[in-house]
Amino acid sequence: MEEKGRIGIPRALMFYRYLPLWRPFFERLGWRVKISDGARQKEKIIYFEDSCLPMKLLVTHAVQLKDKVDHLFIPRLVSIHRTYIMCPKFRGAPDIVRLATEGNVSILDETIDLRKGGMSLLQTFLRIGEKLGASRQESKRAFREAEKSFSKFQKDWVDRINRLPTAQLFEMDVPMSPVRKKAPFRIAFIGHPYNLFDTDINKDLLALAKSLQMEIVTSDLLSEKEIDREVSDLSKEIYWSSGREIVGSLFHFLSDGVDGVVFLTSFKCGIDALLQEFIKRRLKVQGRASVPLLILSLDEHTGREGLTTRLEAFRDVVEEQKKLQSSNVARSDEPKVNQVQINYK
Amino acid sequence: MKVTFPRLGSMHIFCKAIAETAGIPYILPPETSRKTLTLGVLHSNECICLPFKIILGNFIEALQMGADTIVMVGSGPPCRLGLYDLVQKVILEDMGLHYRWLTIPPRFSWKALWKNHEETKDLRKELSARNVLFFPYGLWMGWKKMMACEALERLAMKVRPMELKKGETQKRLKKALSLVDEAKTQKTVEEAIQNGKTLLQEMEQDRSRIPFRVAIVGELYTVMDPHINRGVEQKLGELGVEVTRTSWFSTHILRSLRKNKADRASERVRFFEASKAYLGYDVGAECNISIGEAILRAQEGYDGIVHLMPFACMPETTASGILTKVGRDRDIPILTLILDEQEIEGRIQTLLEAFVEMLEWKRKAA
Repeated sequence: MEEKGRIGIPRALMFYRYLPLWRPFFERLGWRVKISDGARQKEKIIYFEDSCLPMKLLVTHAVQLKDKVDHLFIPRLVSIHRTYIMCPKFRGAPDIVRLATEGNVSILDETIDLRKGGMSLLQTFLRIGEKLGASRQESKRAFREAEKSFSKFQKDWVDRINRLPTAQLFEMDVPMSPVRKKAPFRIAFIGHPYNLFDTDINKDLLALAKSLQMEIVTSDLLSEKEIDREVSDLSKEIYWSSGREIVGSLFHFLSDGVDGVVFLTSFKCGIDALLQEFIKRRLKVQGRASVPLLILSLDEHTGREGLTTRLEAFRDVVEEQKKLQSSNVARSDEPKVNQVQINYK
Repeated sequence: MKVTFPRLGSMHIFCKAIAETAGIPYILPPETSRKTLTLGVLHSNECICLPFKIILGNFIEALQMGADTIVMVGSGPPCRLGLYDLVQKVILEDMGLHYRWLTIPPRFSWKALWKNHEETKDLRKELSARNVLFFPYGLWMGWKKMMACEALERLAMKVRPMELKKGETQKRLKKALSLVDEAKTQKTVEEAIQNGKTLLQEMEQDRSRIPFRVAIVGELYTVMDPHINRGVEQKLGELGVEVTRTSWFSTHILRSLRKNKADRASERVRFFEASKAYLGYDVGAECNISIGEAILRAQEGYDGIVHLMPFACMPETTASGILTKVGRDRDIPILTLILDEQEIEGRIQTLLEAFVEMLEWKRKAA
């Protein structure tokens, strides 16, 4: 098929979950997808507004792409769950980018709001297709195929995390390295997907973790039911879908299934700041036994060296706890693990 | 049972009037002070917004004074205000403070009513027949007093730039508000309003001055509470500026009762419509209103905008990015003040003085 033009997708925010859905859609419609390279250096970050680092990176990536593409794809993510919503900053994101790029580039900013029912995602993509001059039939077919490839991607996800370098996590046809020997530590990494997988934000913490013999587990492993179970008895419903996922999976993993939990948050992330306080206090009030928890708050000044030290220290703690636990079990004492908290900023 | 509630501007007069009229025992948290803030900061983290810390501080102080039941206004998504109670409850519990909690639902719904019913089950047993009987009258009284306070504050904003003796308006306003606060019956409230108004109007004024007109926009807590914004309203007034704001306690109560939705011509609807030039969606809280108000005020010939927000506030961060652009496009000076627990009163004074000086140059150049 003849190439119709280029669509730019900034390597930021929900790129780190939905690229395998977005990319095939545009490609099936005959558009070339161009993805930004990344900021790499602190000096290149554009400070259009005084927001969290992930938002600043969105602007940076979008500006990087604006002269190289025909359209920028920055959907207005209001909700990606049938009941719960996204952070309010996502609602204004396309407008912020429009101002930062000074209106020089066309922006595809269709609203994605899954609260409107099961068909709403298809409707959104039909509207996008219409803007790109595709017929309803074509768009529908492209969307179905994109959905198929996305679900295939999701099936491989758990394997991917441990067997691919972070930079290639979201590429489709890459050969996976052979299964390695099972790592001795199972560590859950919790946080917004962009905090976990954007190497500009976390300095490739996942690679570091792998080199420290950690097996990486994320909240994707848990079903929605398992997450809901942890948060259903709260006195008030947490209405951000990401916040629910974070709180639910943290409570789940802290009590079961892994040797340690690392919570990655961005400095100035409103949701994380509030819920982090909630998680810490609730663990204390309930006096629950828990595995070690490390909270890392990241911003553009975070250095790899500091992260390395923290993660190494954390590994030592996990190791000690594991030893202690196994000797306790051997002596058939009641296994009691104290909560360890290391805060790093 | 001893009820307590957060302090916000002159809202405590409203709450106090309800409790007093209905005969419910209450404890008024001490006026928000450095100590309040320190308590709030100590028991939360740096990226949680300032209103959270202040409300938490209010509650801690009130509980330490012997209150046992907290009444908190609820709010809904997408802003963090809606989850304040969830987190504050755990924090208070962790501190070893005992309390009972009642959240007033932000929007009427059956689910909220049920939750409210569950929460109030024990509380209602402690209420006497008199409490229940007088409650509607208390509400009416509170509303009346609140409207009175707001009218007086509006009047003060108008006369402050004309005052001959600096600080005189503030002194008289304080007196007038306490008159309203102390009034017990319908008749005395009416009298208090009249007396308060005359008190402000009779102040010595220089009527020849032409004050600058500045609108204050932004997150509602920082706009409404002089302790949180370090008296921006008063400071601007004393620099010769007539301040306007559309965020009042009553505005937000009416909004949550969905009262001003019907009135299509209401100011907030106009602001929201105007914000569409820059924002394609309702971001939530006051974000769209802040932007829309700035746009319309520029059209109406205002001299400047002061935008207030707490540090790390989610909707207003988006607004501040866009407002920079609005200011440039519409040629209106916009000063954004980001507030947190730091002692910045002096800095705010300097910033406001510079801002007003800039307005003076602008006027001279025109």
